[in-house]
Amino acid sequence: MEEYAKLISTLSLSLIITSYLVIELRNLRHSAYAYILQALLMCTLFVIFARRNPGLYYWALTAFVTKVLIIPYLLLRYIRKTTDREFQPLIGHFGSIILVSLIILILYRVTHHYIEFLAPTPSAMQEPFRTNLAVSLTVFILGLYCILSRRDAIKTVHGLLVLENGVHLSLVSLAPLLRETALIGIVTDVVVAAYLLLYIILGVFEKFGSTDTFQLKGLRW
Amino acid sequence: MNPEILYLFVIPAVAAIAIFLFGSRSPLYREGIAVLGSALAFLLSLHIVVYTTRGKVFSLFEDELRMDALGGLVAGLVALIGLIAVIYSIPYMQKEVEKGVVSSQRLRSYYGWIMLFISSMLFATTTNNIIMLWVIIEGTTLASVILVAFYWNRNALEAGYKYAMLLTVGITFALFGCILLYSGASPHIQSGVNPLKITEIAKISAKIPKSVVLLSLALLLAGFGTKSGMIPFHTWLPDAHAEAPTPVSALLSGVMIKVGVYALIRTVTVFYPVYPETIKLCIVVLGILTMLVGIFMALMQDDLKRLLAYSSVSQIGYIITGLGVGTYLGIYGGLFHLLNHTLFKALLFLCVGAVASVAGTRLIHELGGLGRKMPVTGLCFLVGALAIGGIPFFNGFMSKLTIFLACAKAEMLWATVAAVVTSLLTLFCLLHAAYRVFMGKGVAAADHANEAIKEVSPLMWGGMVVLALLCFATGVFPQMVFPILDESTKAISAMAAAP
Repeated sequence: MEEYAKLISTLSLSLIITSYLVIELRNLRHSAYAYILQALLMCTLFVIFARRNPGLYYWALTAFVTKVLIIPYLLLRYIRKTTDREFQPLIGHFGSIILVSLIILILYRVTHHYIEFLAPTPSAMQEPFRTNLAVSLTVFILGLYCILSRRDAIKTVHGLLVLENGVHLSLVSLAPLLRETALIGIVTDVVVAAYLLLYIILGVFEKFGSTDTFQLKGLRW
Repeated sequence: MNPEILYLFVIPAVAAIAIFLFGSRSPLYREGIAVLGSALAFLLSLHIVVYTTRGKVFSLFEDELRMDALGGLVAGLVALIGLIAVIYSIPYMQKEVEKGVVSSQRLRSYYGWIMLFISSMLFATTTNNIIMLWVIIEGTTLASVILVAFYWNRNALEAGYKYAMLLTVGITFALFGCILLYSGASPHIQSGVNPLKITEIAKISAKIPKSVVLLSLALLLAGFGTKSGMIPFHTWLPDAHAEAPTPVSALLSGVMIKVGVYALIRTVTVFYPVYPETIKLCIVVLGILTMLVGIFMALMQDDLKRLLAYSSVSQIGYIITGLGVGTYLGIYGGLFHLLNHTLFKALLFLCVGAVASVAGTRLIHELGGLGRKMPVTGLCFLVGALAIGGIPFFNGFMSKLTIFLACAKAEMLWATVAAVVTSLLTLFCLLHAAYRVFMGKGVAAADHANEAIKEVSPLMWGGMVVLALLCFATGVFPQMVFPILDESTKAISAMAAAP
């Protein structure tokens, strides 16, 4: 693994940058393209780790089919049916960039430094798994930030997908021997969840005339 | 090899596929298949309950699927409420079609999804694989999203979006927790431990690093707690339970949130012997907060279904408190209340559905005097209200009393006081609603549709009467359910005591 250490670090950093792009790009279509890029980087990372653990080749294939092909197809299809312009988010562009940068810097540093509280095994505390875990947690929190700070319903689905990518990335360090069936079960849930959410958001768009979640206020208290 | 547990969830799933494929041909291929599938699942669950009560553990595929008394108890409840909800749906949805609320073409989708929903809940009670448990728990959410948004109006779509988004995000925390537990157990593979199986993780729970266990438990509580409707992750519950068609509300409130509790029990209680006090106190505090916030919110509601939904949040608090106490009495009380709440909450939702179906409204201030025109529904609602209020001779009394005693014996008097206060408020809340709706004077909406207001069809009140009788029977003869509850409590304790 040592010979790939630099490549793994670069790819991991790229995953954070692509999460940043998915969140900050205001055009939903461009945001979806950034998601495809992130998924491709994840697949590459799985392939690199698979040199040590061949079972991960199946993971790379599963991730490619679901995250590079199916989910982006669904996203782009429903963006075409609704709108590709993100509804004005809760936090402005400038504020969001500062906040996201702070989240990345603090969270990555803290998790990377105090990994022993998170990593259940000695091997997960070593590089490159240490970096992988820190990156996956950062990506997870960035996804959560996107869901909490965005008004646009489709953008919240982007956030959910980034959040799920964070969890799936952690599997490399935490559960490298996980059977393909369990992994397929996990990603199938994500695909179905994304599809159902987009299907309902299309209904919201048709009934409310926009994908602004602030309009969904009829059922308070 | 016990293939029964496989058939238990495969039969409703096959029924769902058959309905999706042929359901548009005639009602026989839709309602007929749904009733047949849920009836077969119910009979199978009865068979499983009988044997698991005697201590038998069903196992298949080298323990990948495993069902002990606890699994049997939850599966039996899912199958019972599933069958009643499907039968109730026939006249209920027919009336919705007649009213023009739903087109007849969409009935195929309704019955198909409801059977998938039942199948997913039954599947959740059979798996012994920690990752698959998460997959299926998320599956129960996905199978019910379309049902929650079924009316496809503004409120239903809002509820559907919140339901899918909040539960999916919440449950993702549980995935992190499950993965951490798997990972924590994986170094023991050499000693023959399969880290995917919950029963095997339980065996080495003491050997998993403390920081990992605590982090996992926090994540599992957040994730499966969201599914159970625990405070502060409950916000999806009132919207989803109120806006879904009533038979679906009965399934959501009656059994789906219990499946979330089941997942919590399976994953959290295995660590009781290792870190008892920290975990238990945290769970009891969460339980008490849940019951108090739930009942205060219920008291503020004018919409009957939202009132019942918030009351479900409150009652889940009792179950969690009982389980959190962690003693035999506490776990027994928690499971007893889980069983009782399934019966009386499904009953109350079905009664409210009957009222809304004939009166055209579920707002308390628009209803009144329905008791004379709908005596069976009124009486059933009263039984449900007395049961949930914890009145003697009704089932809620015994389970609440057990939880009060368990808290007191564990020297948590503050918890007992909070639980008693919540019980009194619940009684007031539900009896007040029963009085306003079924007694008092007929007002606005009830008068407006005066001629149309009459008792609902026997297919609707039949299920209500069965549940009301079960509430009464369990209240008068609590020893009737002692064997299954005792065996379930022992199953939890045995797994927790594995190290």
